Amino acid sequence: MLYYLRKIAFYLVALWTAVTLNFLIPRMMPGDPVTILLAKAQQRGGVDPAARRAYELMLGTDTGEPLFTQYLLYLRNMARGDFGISVSSFPAPVSEVIAASLPWTVVLVGLATVLSVLTGITLGALVGWRRGTWLDSLVPATTVLSAVPYFWLALVLVAVFSSALGWFPLLGGYDVNLTPGWSGEFLASAVYYGILPAATIVISSIGGWLLGMRNMMVSTMAEDYVRTAVAKGLRNRRIMVWYAARNAALPSIAGFAISLGFVVAGSVVTEQVFSYPGIGSKLLQAVENNDYALMQGIFLVITVAVLGANLVVDLLYSIVDPRTRAGAAT
Amino acid sequence: MLVIYTGATGDMQVNFNPFTPGSPSTGPIYEPLFFYNTARADPPQPRLGQKFSWNADGTQLSITLRQGVKWSDGQPFTSRDVVFTLDLLAKNKALNTTGYRGKATAVDDTHVSVKFDEPSFVDGPQLLGRIYIVPEHVWKSVADPTTAQMRNPVATGPYLEDDVKPQAYTVKANPSHWGGEPAIKRVRVLSLSGNQAGAAAIRAGQIDWQTGPVPNVKNAEQAYPGYKVIITPVNQMVLDTCSNPDLGCKGPQTDPAVRQAIYYAVNRTQLNALAFENTSSEISPSLALLERDQAFISGRLQNKVAPMQPDEARAQQILEGAGYAKGADGIYAKDGKPLQLTLKTVSGWTDYITAVNALSQQLKKAGIKVTAQQLSFNEWSDARGRGDYELIIDSLSQGPAADPFYVYSYFYGSDTTEKVGKQAGTNVSRFTDPQVDAAIAALKKIDPKDTAARQPQFDTIQTRIEQAMPYIPLLTQGTISVYNATKFTGWPTKEDLYAFPAAWQSPDNSEIFRRLKPTGK
Repeated sequence: MLYYLRKIAFYLVALWTAVTLNFLIPRMMPGDPVTILLAKAQQRGGVDPAARRAYELMLGTDTGEPLFTQYLLYLRNMARGDFGISVSSFPAPVSEVIAASLPWTVVLVGLATVLSVLTGITLGALVGWRRGTWLDSLVPATTVLSAVPYFWLALVLVAVFSSALGWFPLLGGYDVNLTPGWSGEFLASAVYYGILPAATIVISSIGGWLLGMRNMMVSTMAEDYVRTAVAKGLRNRRIMVWYAARNAALPSIAGFAISLGFVVAGSVVTEQVFSYPGIGSKLLQAVENNDYALMQGIFLVITVAVLGANLVVDLLYSIVDPRTRAGAAT
Repeated sequence: MLVIYTGATGDMQVNFNPFTPGSPSTGPIYEPLFFYNTARADPPQPRLGQKFSWNADGTQLSITLRQGVKWSDGQPFTSRDVVFTLDLLAKNKALNTTGYRGKATAVDDTHVSVKFDEPSFVDGPQLLGRIYIVPEHVWKSVADPTTAQMRNPVATGPYLEDDVKPQAYTVKANPSHWGGEPAIKRVRVLSLSGNQAGAAAIRAGQIDWQTGPVPNVKNAEQAYPGYKVIITPVNQMVLDTCSNPDLGCKGPQTDPAVRQAIYYAVNRTQLNALAFENTSSEISPSLALLERDQAFISGRLQNKVAPMQPDEARAQQILEGAGYAKGADGIYAKDGKPLQLTLKTVSGWTDYITAVNALSQQLKKAGIKVTAQQLSFNEWSDARGRGDYELIIDSLSQGPAADPFYVYSYFYGSDTTEKVGKQAGTNVSRFTDPQVDAAIAALKKIDPKDTAARQPQFDTIQTRIEQAMPYIPLLTQGTISVYNATKFTGWPTKEDLYAFPAAWQSPDNSEIFRRLKPTGK
């Protein structure tokens, strides 16, 4: 029991630290939201000098309160789940902005991650099993693809499949003529628009999973129980899947749980290249406009997701593998 | 359906509160009392107002309203709505972006009188043309008008809200609009990732009107068959200089001679060709627009138009007259300090970056060393506002009416500036001059119709700013719009510039929506 309490206390401290950094870091950025808003407005023609005062009051940037009071207020609002009003999407509340963009990222990056892990592990198991054959060339091939810069891969895919061949749309999350909802037409359009961004993520991340799985597979196959299974004359397929791959996949599964935490952080770059309406593009928008409230909201969601995923993995591991809990007994 | 791209990126939010920044559809949905054409010196066009007049000293404005106008929920529009709107702004400082300071009373159902404490002729265009009238019967129960999103707007404009999606919002024609139902039944505004995406969408024929740069402007009409291009010169591109050492500015540019020398050393023709595909045009050192404000440009100026060719001899003479001597490296120096300056711009603004590089080459020839520095937009706007710069490439914006007064009061008046280190209003050069301030104050008291009385004040301002030159004029930049002339007729043209043709400019865009006719192609 003490073990679990200690774990949870540790996570609470980590959460507090992250939340405090969330508060401090955006405020160290140059500029303030009102100046940025006015500079943007000036690019587009007249702004009356009176607008500065009005916007300061409207956006509440001129509270005149000391930083520490702002911090206490911030902690209280965070605890209540009140993230405030977004400056860059004024006057929409931050929670509304996040709620509108989060599902896009979770579905796109989530599905792409699952797809990339499943394919990576399957291929890795196969490559490990048949080591020394032509299949080994998959390892350097996929590793090279992982090493290619993310945005560049995205641009290449856009140039080839959207601009040149015209098979996929250039950008966006769905056909703007449709109304978002649970209609078949809209879902089909969302899937169609999601293929290229998802492909970018899958292609660039599959190499890591494949390599890890293959190496584990190779060392698992040297284990006695695999040799026993071979001696018993079991079918190769059964040995590969049930004896070798099952054990070799354990570390990958732990890694997968952690990578799920990062799904929320999304892939800012992919979303930017494809103008995808997810949380990554919102984060960029927040940073560009010094939208503290929105930045804090998004960072909090990311922090909670990462910490949450880690906590679950930590707790699950202590059940799956009692050795990790050994410290508590002594 | 008309599909436009305003340059908006990111998701569209539901926001039909016309007093908040970034409200998408103020122009088409809500209406002001009059329409002021900022592109041409037209008399104000009646919208919700019918006519207006000032008393002799400019302290009382009498407005006659249009009769028989109905809100979109069927309620009649009356003077009480106008008074309510004006009072709402006067009471809520956060909404008062136009600086309204009057006291409004309803004389009867169709007459409103607004009293001011001081002569306020020049506040007229803001009040009459930029304040959108909202219905009292809806807004009186809005708890916090600053953050209200007004999901179902009740308004009088030619268009009504249709639907809002993250990547597009649509407005539909108002069948009971006082001017008759517009011929364009639907207008959709898209959000794309940027100008490149906009150009791609035009090539695919998905957009009917876009304002923003397109590649190869000169041949755009061949590249996009059926489309036409209109370039409207309104943005006066300048080098902001932190000019006033009394307010804390530091650097060689605080010496007017240096600013003058830069002014003469710039090769504007080359700059236009290299950075702007020759879409920019000449600029006047009076900072009045050469086409629109021709009548106001003073005859007492040294140059009515900034020289397009460099005059290096003149620049040299000015610098040497001010005590500068050329060093062995070809750069001028005074008191052992070389004449070197940093020029800030925003990374990603490719046309400005090209311009800045060309400028530093041109100025080097004249013995002035200029180092370009690229910043993020946030840093750039912060540095500009706080006066933490030597030179910045920028453009001056116009006011709510076709009148150079606004440029002078926004950018040269000492009441819109601040010490270095504090965010300035609009006068980021920190320029202060008692003669200019006095002339601005005098202009506020003169009826804009009395051009003979205004001209001496304009003469004073223009000759002073030509000498002091806190903003060094470069070129007048054109706003580029590409529009589909096959599917729709009635667009503003160079000959008939009935509104400023920019898709993002409200209420000008709604004036254009209203005048367009589909050709059926």
